[in-house]
Order: sequence, then structure tokens, then C-alpha cells
Amino acid sequence: MDKPVLFNAASARALKSRLGVKLAKPWRLMIEVVAAMLVLGGVGAVVVEMPVGWFLIGLAALPVMLIEWYGGELHHPPSEGESIDGLMSGDVLGLLGKNPTPQEVAKAAAKVRGGMFFALRFGLTENFLLNITSDKPEDTATIWENALKIRQESGSQHISGAVLVVAIIESFADRDSLLAHMKLDREDLIAGIRWFEHLRALVVQHSAPRRTGGIARDFSFGYIPLLKRFGQNLSEQVGVRINADIASHTRALDQLMDTFGNGGRQNAAIVGAEGTGKTTIVHAFAERILDAKANIPSSLKFRQIFILDSASLIAAAPGRGELEGLIMNVLGEAYSAKNIIICLDNAQLFFEEGVGSVDLTNVLLPILEAGNLRVILTMDEQRYLQIGQRNPGLINALNRISIEPANRDETIAVMQDQLLMTEYKRKVTYMYQSLDEAYRLSERYIHDLEMPGRALKLLESAAGYSESGFVTANSVQQAIEQTMNIKVGVANGEDERQKLLNLEDLIHKRMINQTRAVQVVSDALRRARAGVRNQNRPIGTFLFLGPTGVGKTELAKALADVYFGGEDRMIRLDLNEYVRTEDVARLIADGADDPTSLTAQAMKQPFSVVLLDEIEKAHPQVLTTLLQLLDEGILRDIKNREVSFRDAIVIATSNAGADRIREYIERGYKLQDFQEKFVDELISSNQFKPEFLNRFDEIVVFRPLEKPELIQVIDLMLAGINKQMALQKISVNVAQDAKELLVEKGYDPRLGARPMRRVVQRAVENLVAKQMLSGSVPPGTVIEVTREQVQQILGAE
Amino acid sequence: MPLLYLTHQWYNVVMVLVINLLRWWYTDGWRKRTRLIANRLDGTIDYFSIDLLLKTLFAPFRQISAGRVDGPLGVKMRALIDKLFSRIIGAFIRFIILVIGGIVIGLQAVLGVMILIGWGLVPLFPVIGLMLTLIGVTF
Repeated sequence: MDKPVLFNAASARALKSRLGVKLAKPWRLMIEVVAAMLVLGGVGAVVVEMPVGWFLIGLAALPVMLIEWYGGELHHPPSEGESIDGLMSGDVLGLLGKNPTPQEVAKAAAKVRGGMFFALRFGLTENFLLNITSDKPEDTATIWENALKIRQESGSQHISGAVLVVAIIESFADRDSLLAHMKLDREDLIAGIRWFEHLRALVVQHSAPRRTGGIARDFSFGYIPLLKRFGQNLSEQVGVRINADIASHTRALDQLMDTFGNGGRQNAAIVGAEGTGKTTIVHAFAERILDAKANIPSSLKFRQIFILDSASLIAAAPGRGELEGLIMNVLGEAYSAKNIIICLDNAQLFFEEGVGSVDLTNVLLPILEAGNLRVILTMDEQRYLQIGQRNPGLINALNRISIEPANRDETIAVMQDQLLMTEYKRKVTYMYQSLDEAYRLSERYIHDLEMPGRALKLLESAAGYSESGFVTANSVQQAIEQTMNIKVGVANGEDERQKLLNLEDLIHKRMINQTRAVQVVSDALRRARAGVRNQNRPIGTFLFLGPTGVGKTELAKALADVYFGGEDRMIRLDLNEYVRTEDVARLIADGADDPTSLTAQAMKQPFSVVLLDEIEKAHPQVLTTLLQLLDEGILRDIKNREVSFRDAIVIATSNAGADRIREYIERGYKLQDFQEKFVDELISSNQFKPEFLNRFDEIVVFRPLEKPELIQVIDLMLAGINKQMALQKISVNVAQDAKELLVEKGYDPRLGARPMRRVVQRAVENLVAKQMLSGSVPPGTVIEVTREQVQQILGAE
Repeated sequence: MPLLYLTHQWYNVVMVLVINLLRWWYTDGWRKRTRLIANRLDGTIDYFSIDLLLKTLFAPFRQISAGRVDGPLGVKMRALIDKLFSRIIGAFIRFIILVIGGIVIGLQAVLGVMILIGWGLVPLFPVIGLMLTLIGVTF
């Protein structure tokens, strides 16, 4: 049997901790006042020749010793041994008495920093902890056991308040469902302890003295008035930034150190996508070389990094050739000063013509090739390649350092560090769940930046959606919903819930029959908004098969209108325009070149209905490209950016086999009887490949509309006309036999209900227009349309 | 007797604390104080950048006239003199700072040593004070 873990409240460490807790600030102040009074009183007594003064001065040593002891040990007693009271943080240990109950442990943990951290960042407040703890002292042993395990697992030095909070939760029998309710799991809590410890370490690190060279540091280096005017000294900003450890950043820093610390060309090009932290690396480099204690080559020690400001340089030298002269002077100054490293941030601005940029290749290339002046360039991969294409010599002269995007853990760590500044500036507190959500949502929806920049961008914008000063997962969702006009959270508004539950009815207000098709898309949306769908696929992928004019496209439009917020939320592609291999490039073109490409539209509007019309006409290569979209909900654009379709409903339509459907119906088959067979026929007749059809969630066959349904279609059209005329307070009423005539004249078995719109337009709209122009219909009139009138108009034509 | 028991308990607690205070004072406390004084001294040395001053004692001040000059002998000579002058100015300023820095660092070191010695005597102050009182020492 395992030996129970004991807590010794009478140990010397526990006594010291209790004294430390008791010596709160007012007490310490009083002790200091007593010490001062004893010294002053003693000195006064000695001066007036009273020997007792010596004793008073001597006595002052006792309060002084107590205060010193508090600062040196009582405040944070060092850990002793492996027992609970030996490892527990002094702040929480000092609050615990003999045989504490779990509730007393919870109270103590909630009162100290670690517990307050969990209350703030995770919402695990004192009340919450009290609700899940008992008042039986014998239950505390489980908490101690868990605390010892969690301390080891999280790598904490002490059993802090944070460790105890997690241990309390761990000891609760129904912890998993409790955490799930708060959208957390055990791993998150362990990560929370690490975050707390990291912040404590940062505070210690921040208060440690810095050695940055002193007053004589720059005596032997030159004056730099031009650089001060046209550049930004990063070395003066050292200490402001907090840098988390990212593997690719650490590697890049070492490479920078190596490049500038040894012989060879003294330049480095930091190449990486936007948001990977290229400028942050330059800041970190500036910080490292300014640290007298760092292990760096002496030739690099105390060098200062200046970022040149291209805009102010261009503004200061508007005349032809002036800029080149100015740049030469600035660089000459940097070279003469002997302690300057020049940084060209977004270096493409110095190598291409454009607004705010200028091509200085001819000036900079010889300097970079000579390799005497230390220069750091940062630019994104694409620009690097473009510049390399135009000027291979330039690329050959540079020492390239590649920066990879950060992974999830690194991004979370960066967010944990950077949010401190945002919290300070925006007066908000970020909860742990918001970081996780920011990573998840930014990965899916933000395409113009890479990690960690993209998650940070979202996290910062979420500060504007804080709830009572707290930035929660919901704030992050709101931020992305407002900026991208999408819906990412689970449906929780009453309106939206009702809309989802009655989606079929709403769609049927503008669509007749095709109940199965309406049901499958409605089900898909409900699954998505209830959060039970596969997040790594589109909301739904459907193939609608059937003859023309039966409502395939109409359903997509209705869905976009009813749920996605308007027919303009539909991305429509007529695939009969994508019949060549080269059309694949058009499909995935960059938005800057072709805003109508599929990827560009989805990037702009991820929450939409994607309608791929007449899919059977597309080139096989186009269909192959679309496979990944259907499968994983992503498509890479021409710039290799991942574009998400995971918030879209993808509907492909096809007329393939329309005659066959009609034939089945005419022979008296019901839709459900022949659907499977029909799909097999499509495969065997090579109209579609099985691997393509398999990618769809549902294949829905639309049947031709029958006469009563066509009359309902007429009713819908008439409702549309009446809606348009409502402003003029005039309405139209078409007699039943007139409607039947309209169906008779408008229905074409090959074209479905489509010609009916033209017939209604000719017969009804023209008639109404004529009557209105003749002035015979005052407002409030109901225009009655009879079969004879319809007959007359249509017959005449 | 409960009261006696309580008094005994309190006596034990106070004794444990006093012993721990003295133990800390002469071990970790003394070490920490030494480290603190050393850090402050280190900060002052960094502030006056003694090592840098020594390394660059004769370097041209602020790189004035430090560049290489090509041209006729007269121009070269003039540049050499300018450079020499710049070096002399630099050496003078650095030397002054070295002297001031040396004095400040020296004083701080002496003060530090005195504090460390005094640290060891602090717990004895009440006893020393009592003895002086009993002897009746006055000015």
C-alpha cells in the first residue's frame, strides 16, 4: 500500500511561511517605523548623555533583521526536500493551518497569485473551486498526491497556487465533463501552469539588471546625425519587446550571429512570409548584441541596429539623383561610425519602383557585394524571388536566412508574451480560451499573414469585442465574424435557431417541391451550426442532377438568400467556361490579378454558397483540382496560399442524364426507385468518374415538375410581381384558368419551368404595364387578369 | 494545564523562528548581501565601462578625422596630425572618466566590504548596546 502523502503544518518552513504571510505591508511599514524611531531615539539619548541610547540603537537591529529576513527568505522560502510542505509556495503554505480541508486548500489557493491567475485566465474562481471541494480533511490527501504529480508534469519548481488549482480539479470525480463545459481539457490546465510560471520568470528576468555598455560605450564610434534623422534605432528600444522562443527564430539569430561574427560578406537577407516575425528577429538580435554578458564575438558587442525609413528618405530627396546621393551619405555615415548595422526592413522597397519605394539596386549592389558595411534585409519569399529574377547578382551577394512560420505551440507562446502589451494598452484581460480560438480561427480565415502574425492580428482585434474587460473565445469569434462577415460560433441567438429549425419552410417560400434536396442542404446547415460537423470539410457538398428548369440553381440561390444573407453570398462558376487545361490557372488565380477566380472570391467571402454550374462540362483537370476542395475544404491558389471552403456549402449542378430522368419518370418510376441505378448509369457511361462522385456528401436527383407544381411556380412569380408593385399600391390577380393557360404555354419538357418566366412576363407584366400607363388603375386597384386576356396576348404572338 | 501548554507551544515556535533567522542571517542572508553588493559594483563598472575605456584609450574620439585620406604628402600629414589630435582628445576624456570611475568604484568597494563586516555584527548590536549602556558610555 502506498504511504499517504502527509502535510506537516508545524515544519520550520511552514512556520516561516506563516510569518511571511503575517508580515503584510502595513506590518512591515510599522516595523520599519519602529526601527527608525529606535535609532533616532537612541541617537538623541546618546547626544543628551543618556547611555540607554546605546541599547535603543542596538535594539533597532531586531526589526531591521526581521525586514531583511522577510525580503531574503520569508517572502519566498526556498523549497526543502520532497514533502508537500517542503515544495509548496510560501504564499499558499502560509495560509494553511493544521490538517486543512479541501475547501481550505481551495480558499488558500484562490487567494494567491497562481489561483488568481487561473480565476482570471480560465474563469476558475474561488466559488468554482469551493463548489467542487469537500470539507472533509481526509479528502485532502488526494489533492496533495495530484499536486505532486502535476508539479512534476508541468515542470514547476514549487507547488504553487496554480498547481493546487489544477490538483483540486484533478481530484474532482466528474472533472472531464466539468472542463468540457468550459471548453477546456486537462492539457489546457497544464499549459496554464506553464504560462503562469513563464510570466513569473519574465518578471524576474525583467527586474534583473542590464549591462549595456555604460557612458563610454559610444565614445570611440562616430557621430550619426543623418542616421538619426532617417532611421530608427532598434537598440534604443531594447527591453520593450518580449520574445518567445521560436525554433526558427533561434536558428535565425544564431545564423545572424555567425554571419556578422565571422569574416565574409557582412550582410544577411531574412526571408519569410509576412507575419513570420522577420522584424522581431532583428529586434531580438539588437537586444542580444547589446548585452554585455552575452556570449558573442567582441566585434559585434554593442553594435547598434538602425532601420532605414524609405518614405522619409524619398521625401527628403525628391530631385533626380538626389536620393542616390542621400543614401550614399547615410550609408557612408554608418560605415564611418564603425558600430552600425543597417536594416532595410521590407527591403523590396529599395529594389523596385512604386509608391513609397525606389529602385536603388545600382547603389546598394556594390555595397552588398563588397560586404564591408553590415546590412540586414528583410523581405517575403515572393519578393525575394522576383528581385532575384530581375537581378540575380543581388541575390548572389546576399546570405539568405529563411524563416518558417511558427507551429501551434510556438504561436501560443508568442501570443502569451505579446498579449501583455495589448492588455496594458487596451485595458483588457485575455482568457486562455481566446488564445486557442485565435489560433484556430486565424489559421482558417486569415490568409495574408503567416503564423504567429496572423493569430496575433486576430487576438488584437478581439480586444475590441471584450466582455466586461475580458477577451474570451466568443470575443475572438465575434472579431472574425465582424471582419470577415462569416458565422463561426455555434448558433445561439433565438432568431437564428428558429431560422435553422424552419429552414425547409423558408426555402419553400421561394422554391416548389424538390423536398429531398431542400432537406439535405438544410440538414447540413443545421449540423454545421450546431457544431457537430467535420470541421475539416465544407459544411456540405452536394451534386444536383436533373433537367434544366427544375430548381437546381434556384435552390442554391434560395439558400444563399435565406441563410447566408442574400443572393450575393453565392459564388457562382459556370464550368462550361473551364473546358481547357489552362483554365485551372483561372480557377485559382490571385485576387489581385483576377478578382473573379474561385479562390479570390472564397478568400473574400468564405461563408457562402459555392455553385459550380454544369460541372459535367469542365475539363477533367479542373475537376481534379476541385477534388481537394470537396474532400478537405481547401484549395491552394496560384501563390500557394491555402484558401478555406470549410464554411461554404458547395453545390455542383449537372444536366447529365436529364433525358434518362425524364424517361424514368414517364415510365412511372418514383425518384427514390431509380436514383441509385441512375447514378450507376452515369458512371458506366463515363460521364462522371466514381472517385469524383464519391467526394459529394449527397447526390440529389431533381425530377421534372408536374402541372400542379408549375401552377405553384406561377404563383411564386406573381407574388414577385405583386411585391414589386406594392410601392404603387397596385396588385395583380390572375384567374386560375389563366394560370393553367400560362403553364400550358410556358412549359417545355426540355427546358422545364424556365420558359414560364418569359411567358408570365409577356402575358401579365406587359398587360399590367399598359393598364398603368393608360392611367386607368388608380392606387389601391387590384388588376384582374382573365384567361381571355392571356389567350389574347399569347395567341396574338 | 492548557495555558501552560499554549505558552510552551509559543515558546517553541518563537525559538524555531529565532534559530532560523540567525541561521539565515549568517548563511544565505550574508551570501545574498554579498551578491547584491557585487551586482551594484558590477553595475557601476558597466556604467563607467572601464574595460571599454582601457581597450579604446587611444582611439580617435567619435571617429573624428579617423578616416583614411589619400592625396599629396601635405594632405596626408595634415590628416595624420588631425587624427593624432583626435586620439589625444579621446585619450584625455577617457582618462578623466577612468580616474573618476576608479575613485567611485573604489569607494563603493570599500563601502561594500564595510557593509559585509557590519552584517555579521548586526545580531550582536542589542548585546553591544546593552553593554555600552551598562558601562555608561556617553559622548
